[in-house]
Amino acid sequence: MNLVGLAFGCAFGFLIALGGLNDYEVIHNMLLLEDFQPYLIMGSAVAVAAPVLWVLERKHWATPYGGELELARSRPQRHHLVGAAIFGTGWAVAGTCPAPALAMGASGAWLGLVVVGGLFAGLFARDSVEASSADATHADLDMGQVATAT
Amino acid sequence: MEILPERVSWFIVGPLIGVLVAGLFAIANRPLGASGSYVQTIAFVRGDKRTQTWRVWYFVGILLGALLASILQGKLELRAGYESMIDLFSLPLTVVVLAIGGVVMGYGARMSGGCTSGHGLCGTSARSMTGFAATATFMSVAIAVTLLLNWMTGGRL
Repeated sequence: MNLVGLAFGCAFGFLIALGGLNDYEVIHNMLLLEDFQPYLIMGSAVAVAAPVLWVLERKHWATPYGGELELARSRPQRHHLVGAAIFGTGWAVAGTCPAPALAMGASGAWLGLVVVGGLFAGLFARDSVEASSADATHADLDMGQVATAT
Repeated sequence: MEILPERVSWFIVGPLIGVLVAGLFAIANRPLGASGSYVQTIAFVRGDKRTQTWRVWYFVGILLGALLASILQGKLELRAGYESMIDLFSLPLTVVVLAIGGVVMGYGARMSGGCTSGHGLCGTSARSMTGFAATATFMSVAIAVTLLLNWMTGGRL
């Protein structure tokens, strides 16, 4: 499974850099509504993945590493939307998001690693908050909690 | 080396990312979420026995894959990035702004249970209402904040 993780990470990082998504100007212009390529990348990715997943789910597809395919679905709750709004604010300021920030750093733009450092701090801070409150269960998209094992 | 162009068209990159999203679900029943890999990397560094190590490898992979692409694109070069922001704010202030941006993003992603990849690519592909709602929220907020920043800086950002 570690090899699967490495392979998918490599492919994802490669494609992010190939699409220029690790470039601040590209994402900034996307959010300024001046460059629509990133939206088309996200849209076409979903357009390819969604029907494949639909078919696999109907066939009760047995995954080699994780049992029968189970797509986690949930009704949006307050914390999903508040968190998304906070995330969107940071995304606008930094002009990059978690995977592209890594790809930015890997391309030699060292300020991308400053964003990566901030991401670690922010994720850790929220994780600590959740560890101290029993009612917060955010396992729906398998973030892989540190505080509570999934 | 400039074997690959600096930017390959969306209709090549997008569908291939779609194959990865579907592929990881099909092989391992897992979403291709980036912020989760940060969380697991923190767990790994802290020596947590429950660490999902494959996600740490996934984290490392993103760096390696992007490094390889950058070499083939002839883009690998030590530089700051964010030239327009440095122009406006100076380098030290840009570092502070970006660190804060990262912290805010990380906090929100953890609270929301996913980021652009977890919600925006995987949640939507799996037809999760949460994925759609979170994606619509962070997209519209990010666009609004960016347009506001642009207006506040007189179009320099």
